[in-house]
Amino acid sequence: MKRLLALACVLLYTTASASELLTGVRSRLADPPLLRGQFEQKKTVAGFKKPLLSRGEFLLSRGKGLLWDTRAPFAATLTLTRKSLSAEQKTGGAAYHLDASREPALAAMNEFLFALLSGDVDSLSTRFRVEGELVGADGWRLTLTPTDAGLARVFRGIRLEGDRFVRQVQLEETSGDSSLIQFTQLAQTPPPGATETERLGK
Amino acid sequence: MGNRLAIVWALLVLAVGVHQVRFWRSARLETDILALLPEDEQAPQVGAATRKLADESGRQLVLLVGAPDWESAQRAAEAATEALSQAGAPLEPARVDATALDAAVEFYRPYRDRLLTPAQRAWLASATPEELGGTALMKLYQPAGARLTDWSDDPLGLWPDWWAARAAENEARPRDGRLWLSGEGREWVLLTWQSQVSAFALGDDAKVTAAVERARAAVAAIPGGRLVAAGVPLYAEAAASQASREISTIGLGSLVAVLLLVWLTFRSLRPIVLVGVSLMIGCAVALSVTALLFDRVHLLTLVFGASLVGVAEDYGFHYFAARQGKPAAERGRVMRFLLPGMLLALLTSVVAYLALGLAPFPGLRQMAVFAAAGLVGAFLTVLCWFPTFDLGDLPVTAFAERVSASLSRWPRITSEKRWWPAMAGLLVVSAGGLWRLETRDDLRQLQGAPANLLEDQRELGRLLGLPSPAQLFLVEGEDEEQVLQREVSLKQRLDALVADGVLTGYRAVSDWLPPASQQRADAELSARAEQRAVAAVAAATGEEPSRARFANDVLTPARFLSSPAAPAIRQQWLGPLGSKQYSVLMLRGLEGPAVLARLAAAAHGLEGVRWVDKTEEISRLMGRYRRLMGGLIVAGYLAVLVMLLARFKREAWRAWVPSALGTLLTLAFFGWVGEPLQLFTVLGLLLLLGMGVDYGIFLLEHPGDGSAWVAVALAGVSTLLSFGLLGLSATPALRTFGLAMLLGEVSIWILTPCFRMPPGKDIT
Repeated sequence: MKRLLALACVLLYTTASASELLTGVRSRLADPPLLRGQFEQKKTVAGFKKPLLSRGEFLLSRGKGLLWDTRAPFAATLTLTRKSLSAEQKTGGAAYHLDASREPALAAMNEFLFALLSGDVDSLSTRFRVEGELVGADGWRLTLTPTDAGLARVFRGIRLEGDRFVRQVQLEETSGDSSLIQFTQLAQTPPPGATETERLGK
Repeated sequence: MGNRLAIVWALLVLAVGVHQVRFWRSARLETDILALLPEDEQAPQVGAATRKLADESGRQLVLLVGAPDWESAQRAAEAATEALSQAGAPLEPARVDATALDAAVEFYRPYRDRLLTPAQRAWLASATPEELGGTALMKLYQPAGARLTDWSDDPLGLWPDWWAARAAENEARPRDGRLWLSGEGREWVLLTWQSQVSAFALGDDAKVTAAVERARAAVAAIPGGRLVAAGVPLYAEAAASQASREISTIGLGSLVAVLLLVWLTFRSLRPIVLVGVSLMIGCAVALSVTALLFDRVHLLTLVFGASLVGVAEDYGFHYFAARQGKPAAERGRVMRFLLPGMLLALLTSVVAYLALGLAPFPGLRQMAVFAAAGLVGAFLTVLCWFPTFDLGDLPVTAFAERVSASLSRWPRITSEKRWWPAMAGLLVVSAGGLWRLETRDDLRQLQGAPANLLEDQRELGRLLGLPSPAQLFLVEGEDEEQVLQREVSLKQRLDALVADGVLTGYRAVSDWLPPASQQRADAELSARAEQRAVAAVAAATGEEPSRARFANDVLTPARFLSSPAAPAIRQQWLGPLGSKQYSVLMLRGLEGPAVLARLAAAAHGLEGVRWVDKTEEISRLMGRYRRLMGGLIVAGYLAVLVMLLARFKREAWRAWVPSALGTLLTLAFFGWVGEPLQLFTVLGLLLLLGMGVDYGIFLLEHPGDGSAWVAVALAGVSTLLSFGLLGLSATPALRTFGLAMLLGEVSIWILTPCFRMPPGKDIT
């Protein structure tokens, strides 16, 4: 009985601290309607000795979508909106397009990526077990373990770090591949330009 | 002699009784209307296909719980789940195997290189090396994606698309640990449950339906909440409660009427008990014989069989009507005196009932056997037991006297001029009605399911994008490979129709198991394209990536069918039937009957591909048998006339004309009120031939005998009532049958005494 009580106390304490953590992270995040900046990605893929490096710029517009434009080692654009995913390589003419109306899982994937890049802990905690800590005066660090079967098929775990913004994302895939993405020069302006608005409207 | 007969019959009745007890203990009743449908005469494989598809879903209950947004849809699903799992409901959630998909992915992994969608095949064949290389690089550098394999196993990222195409065969998608779909203004959660019991006993209290209704109420409490449910258990319960309601209405209704008439006429307990016993034994014999001859007794047989009560009482009535007012010692002679007429009447009725069984509908054969056996049982009870047990006096009652005397006041049609206008009028009315008579042959005549069940079923099929169970392609081949190849040729034509919006898609075994020839061609195609892509990536990254190796041999049917991937499609693989192999290709999202002709045309010129429109085929079959049975009625009338001529010589027409005229008047009535002529109407008229003639026979056998008229009058009233009550059935087929019988009986009953012999004249 005593052990049961102790267990109950531990459980209560954990949930309390988990929700404290979420409140803490939420209060430290700026959660802007628009976020743009540079990214640098280091991807480790089976079959490749060295990590694959790429860099470019991104734009995240709340409720609209994500523009992910690689500049190096080659130029390519990726547009993810509520309705579709399209990718295009500037040289060579390679392109592909997925329509959310024909592939409904895309909408769920979309929602997940938005939550990830904007640090939406409430949305993330419906699909992941969220653990972590607050760092210093305004930093935080989270470890996500998927509880959703579909995500668990793809990801072993995800690590997020940030302060007012998400600064670093580390994705561990079940296949053993992993990606470390760092964000720099984060800003809430300028608003999307004409081409960007057009791409987000697709 | 009489006593020995009584003992033999008592032993038989005892055996029937024992059988009845055993039958009801393990009631094997059939509710599925498919069981009433005929075997396809041209292609028994179609029957096999339909049965296999139906068997798969026997216990399943599919529910969609919807609400305007995903949050409340999930809450609604929880409320529904709670209601369904309440104590007392014989339901359990269907086992959802979360590892099944992973197992299927693992199974297919060595064959990944030869699983391509048509779009991928076209792209791989036409893409430039730059395009291939660029695509591979882009996918390689993408932050993260829903990859199912290592990069080297699928450098162009083709496989997720192939799986997406397989998943598109069903609208539901996993979301937050549930199956989700979006449609018609709501977000929906898909729930699958199954009934824990497969068989059911008649008079069961519809527990599954009650549980679903509880869930429906719980969901309705959530704003905008809606529950749609379908499944065989719901139909079975609806059919059972409907049948038990109708059996008690028809059976008890006519039983009460019969016993009331017996009491009014004879004012004695003995006739009531004996007639009641003859009816009970008749029904028991009917049920036992049916259960012995058929694997399962269908509920509709019992509903139809309940009308037997009003027919089988005839023999008892005749006996007591003739026996009334005579001393008990004469009862043996009364029986011998009645026997020829009763035998002839029994014979015509049994022949008429058995003629129903000529149509190749298993359900009709059951009803025919049931009725014929019931009549014989009741007749033998009258013959063997009545003289033995009917002791004591039976004075003529005032009521019987009055009925008996009414015969002499009944109008008698003669060749006098005053009858001519009436006859001419009758002919004009009949001809006009016949002129207006329409025909309809529709499978839905057999469907008595409540409208809300059918509506739910349609909505569910629409939302889930379920394939149509009634329209499909049957593919035949010498071996498995040929079946799969023929499917591929058919699919090429169907893809064009999908692009035109004629249908939304199809489900084919060859999508999951491509023919060996295509596997080889696709493996070669993907190998060439992917080697180029890998080379381009190697050049761009300065590394030496390689493409993985895949299985050397093709994926064989035997291997596929025993794999964890097979359950998704196994029901469509019929395998060997006779010397050939068969599969079924199913269609999704057929919009209305207008598109069926285009689909039928898709099979033209494709060897081994057969378009099956079950609804159409059965309707055509029903039409054919409606005409055939119509011809049989005409032939039957001629045969009966010959039979009557043999016994009654020049007076035979007096027994024959009322039935013929009654049939014509019934048809005319159907014409005037716009009720279409259906197979089941014709079957009713066939039965009418056998029973209507009986009255004429009795009146001719015993002309001027008031007691024969008493029997005919009472028998007519009770028969009328039985079939009139059958006309209340919710099953359209039984309703039209009852209506035809009711109208025909009334007119024959009124007409027969009009054609009686002139007073004082005798047949001999």
